Formats: sequence, structure tokens, C-alpha cells
Amino acid sequence: MSKAANGGAAARMQRLLAMVPWIVAQDGPLTSEVCARFEVTPEQLAADLEVIWLVGLPPYTPDALIDVKQEGDRVWIRFAEVFGKPQRLTPDQAVALLTAGASVLALPGAEPDGPLGRGVRKLAGVLGVDVSQVLEVDLGAAGVEVLDLLRRGVSEQRQLHLDYYSFARDARTQRNVNPYLVEAQDGSLYLLAYCHQAEADRRFRVDRIVSATLLDDTFVAPPAMEEWRLFEPDASDPRVVLDLDPAAAWVIEAYPMESVETRPDGRQRVTVAVTAEPWLARLLLALGPQAEVVTGPPGLIDAGRRAAGEILARYP
Amino acid sequence: MSSPKLERLLNLTALLLNASLPVSAEQIQTALDYPDDVVAFRRAFERDKDELRAMGIPLRLASVPGKLPPVDGYRIPPEEYALRDPGLTIDELGALHLAASAVQVEGLSATAGLLKLGGLVAAGASDIGVRVAPLPADPNLACLFAAVASRTPVTMRYGDQDRTIDPYRLEFLRGRWYLTGYDHFREAERNFRLGRIQGTVVPTDGPAFLAPRAPLQGRAEGPWELGDDEPIVARLRIGGPPAQWALQHFGPDRIVEVAEDGSVVIDLPVNHRSAFRSFVLSFLDHAEILSPVELREDLILWLRGIT
Repeated sequence: MSKAANGGAAARMQRLLAMVPWIVAQDGPLTSEVCARFEVTPEQLAADLEVIWLVGLPPYTPDALIDVKQEGDRVWIRFAEVFGKPQRLTPDQAVALLTAGASVLALPGAEPDGPLGRGVRKLAGVLGVDVSQVLEVDLGAAGVEVLDLLRRGVSEQRQLHLDYYSFARDARTQRNVNPYLVEAQDGSLYLLAYCHQAEADRRFRVDRIVSATLLDDTFVAPPAMEEWRLFEPDASDPRVVLDLDPAAAWVIEAYPMESVETRPDGRQRVTVAVTAEPWLARLLLALGPQAEVVTGPPGLIDAGRRAAGEILARYP
Repeated sequence: MSSPKLERLLNLTALLLNASLPVSAEQIQTALDYPDDVVAFRRAFERDKDELRAMGIPLRLASVPGKLPPVDGYRIPPEEYALRDPGLTIDELGALHLAASAVQVEGLSATAGLLKLGGLVAAGASDIGVRVAPLPADPNLACLFAAVASRTPVTMRYGDQDRTIDPYRLEFLRGRWYLTGYDHFREAERNFRLGRIQGTVVPTDGPAFLAPRAPLQGRAEGPWELGDDEPIVARLRIGGPPAQWALQHFGPDRIVEVAEDGSVVIDLPVNHRSAFRSFVLSFLDHAEILSPVELREDLILWLRGIT
């Protein structure tokens, strides 16, 4: 079945079952409006109306068929009581719509009583659910003020000063950036920006931005944000070789691995690039006995042990 | 599809929607444009029925009254077919359209749903100011949502255990879908990760369950709340650079104290101890478990194993 808008049987039939009651209720809408609302070209609409004209009830005499009338740029449909109401939403459609609505409403700063909030509540009402009780979507945490400043920076193409907690380096940093885009991915909000200090594009997690200040300096956004390339380790970053127990195999999926090899003892030997020591320390702390450092530069080979010792110092 | 077939499907739908009594296959063959040959008719009719069902049209099977031997007939009950009009205003419909364009669930289209609600209309705003990567789909998502909405208990296999669940709520959190529900096997409310459900969720024929007895606990704030361990409250001090993050991230009901040095003390409910340990360790030496003693000792033991 074709998925094109005009396409397959199902798509065309479902469009008709939605379009007919709407046209009936409007009493002579503009064909251009029908086309816009139901995403059809005037030619497709004409073809659809020709089919409708042949639909009705037994004995299928002219008086038992749906009546279609076109006059000037308007269209009327009559005697279509049998298709008087649109079809109920399928669970797929309900999930898609309510999830989208709940997602946008969950963004910090959204107005729960705006048009979207009202629309979602009405729609949930006919589905028999209280949407706030049964469906919750969290696209990522952010302070309302910070997020608002980031969006302004993006839309007004103004530079921002960020006070940022770099998790990988475990340090507070100050930097000026050209904010390109705020993005929600995998349950976190990110700012994609050019960092003047790093002189490169970087991705900042919004909930780690301690504060943002809108500057007067403007910038020109790059043309295509679709081809954003995430920061990748470069050749000069140190490499560490680890042996992972089967229980730690999730690490291979979670982080970019430069090589993976199965050992005779069933463990996986992997090579990873380490961009910052705290990152490796956290990984080794979380894995504990499930990981063993095989080789690595002198500063890193003890990263897990050292970090564990520093934490233990808090538990005398 | 050619128009004659579309025409036939529409007429079939109209016939069955309009029928107050089940209509037999024979009557359908006579009334509509089907082949006269019995085998060819059966084949075409079966395909048509499948197509209607795939569109979510409720095709019901029942005996035609007054026939001996009994004959099966078909109907589409209008009350099951039709959408109750939510009465959306044009700005509400536009806002839903904008939201559905901005946030997509992989593999699920909101367009057909929007058409039923009155079509695609433009919203007041042009975008939501955030680019949202499509949310991952899960094969059980729609079925579970239908069960949540109709309060239908479901059976599913989870953690190598067959369970009956009263599904209360679906959540999308940190990039994953979760189900909260009453687990009849554990006899307690539990959170489940959809991605870890083994196989397909099956709705039961049983009666609808009642609303949750107690209001649901707040949504799970982290993986440390998504386990099967004995629930316990852990007190944690977070200092240094992440303190500011913790202050923003956790609500006032979690925060016990903000100390003079800027460090933050929080209480967290834990029922997944190893996930909690990983969370604490991610703060490196900026965090300390204050209580209970057993979690402190568990962490100390873990760290000694590393040094």
C-alpha cells in the first residue's frame, strides 16, 4: 500500500470518511479550503467527489445515493447521513496526537490553558481519559528562564554567554556561544551552538546551564542544521582498552567503540577514546567488578581506582 | 487502488453502518458489486473485511435473526464507529496540528487522526521553538494506551514472569517509555519499561478495573525508582558544581536542606539499588549517601572492590 497522501486504498478511504462529514457540516465550503484541510490537490478532490457520488444505500437508485453539488468555487454534499460523523480515532492515532500534545505542554514555560492545553483536554475527554493522569511525557528538564533566553537567542540570532557545568570534565565553565537550535533528544534538552572558546560546534545540555545572558552581538546561523555532526573524539584523545563482563555489554551500545573483540573467557575487549578523565572514572565506578582496564596511558589506567579512593574519603 | 474498489468499500461500510440487524454475506454479495462466483466472492469479501478492520472500523459478527441453521451476519454499530465530537475550536485544532508536526512518535501518524477532527489547519505560532527528535515507538504502546483508556487489565511477560497488570499510566522519560500499573503478581504498584516487555501485551476479557485506590505516586524521577527491590528512602548530599543542578532538578518535596556551603540534601525513594548506586557515583566525590546505613555500606563495599 502506498503511503503517499493521495495513495493507497486505506488512506483514500479514510480521508473520504473524514472529509464527507466535514463538508456536510460546513454547508458549502470553498473547495480551496477542503483541499487545504484534507491535504489534497483540486484534481484529487474532484476524483474523490466522483466516487462519493456513486455511494449510498440499497436499492442504489438516484434518490438513495449521496448527492454532490459543485457550484463555482464551492461544494455541497447532501443525503450522507450514514457518514454523518467521522470515524473514531484508532489507538495509534490517539497515542500519536495525545503524545504530541502532552510533549509540547510539558516543555518548560508552556501554557496549560492555552489552545493546545484546551484541545488536548477536549480530545482526551472524548477518549474517556484524564490525560494528566494517564500519559506523561518529559522531553527534558530546563529552567523556564534559561530555556526562554535560549529560544530568544536562537530566534533573534544573538550570542549568549553561558555559565555551564561541564559534566564530562566535572567543572563550571564560562563561554560565549552562537545558539543555533534547541533540541529535545532521548529525554534531554540540548542547545546546539558554536562555542567561541572551543572554536567549534558543541552540544550543551540545557539543564546543566547554570545561567545564560543574552548579548547584543549577533551572528549568522549556518544554512543546514539537519547535518549537525556531534562532537567526535579526535585522533589525539587517549585510548583505553577495557575487558567487559557480559553484564556490562550495554556499554558497547551506549558509547562509540573503536574496536570490539570477544575474548576466549567470554568477555568483550573494547577500545574507547577518552575525551575527559571524569567520563572514564564514572564508567569504571558504575561497572565496578564488571570491567577491567587492560591498557591505557599512565594518567588514565588508574582513573577508576583513584576516583573510588576520593569518594571513599567521604566515608571515614 | 482503482475507484470501483473504493466505491465498493464505501458502499459496504454504508450498508453495514445503516443496518439495524446483521447482514449475511449472501445479502452483501447481492447488494454490492461483487463477483457472482462463490469462491471469487469469498476471496474479495475477506480482503475487504481485512481492509476495513485495518482502518479501525469495528466490524461485528453476529447471527442473523430468524435463520435456521444459523447464519453469520455483519454489522458496524454506529455508536462504536463514530467519533464523539470533541468540539475543538479552530485555534485548538491548529495547536494540535502544530504539536503533531513538531513531535512525532516513530511509525505512528497523527495526520489521519487530525483529519477526523476537522482537518489540518494552521496554528497561531509557526513553531514551538524546540526541535524534537521523533520519540521511539514501541510495539505495545498503542495496545497499552487503549487498555489504560478502557481500564482493561492486560497480561504480559516481564522479567521472565507472566503477570496480570491493571495499566494505570504511560510515561515517556529519559528517552524511554514506561508503564505504571498494579501488578497482580507482586500485589503492588510497579513501573515497567516497555522495551523490556517480552513479546506482546494481551488485553484480558475480564471486567474493567477500578481507578487506582490511592493517587499514583509522582512519576518516577529516575531509574532508581524502577526496580523490584524493597522500597527505601535514601538521603543524599550533593555539593560542588552539581549542587546547582540538583536544586533545579528536584522539587521542594525532595529537598531537605540547602546548606551554607551550597550543598543540597535530598531524600529519594529507591527500589532499584544498583541504579541508585550508579546515580550517586555519577557525581564522583560531590555526593555522599547520608542514610540509611545499609546503602552507605553497600556503596563503601562496592568502592573498596574497585580500589
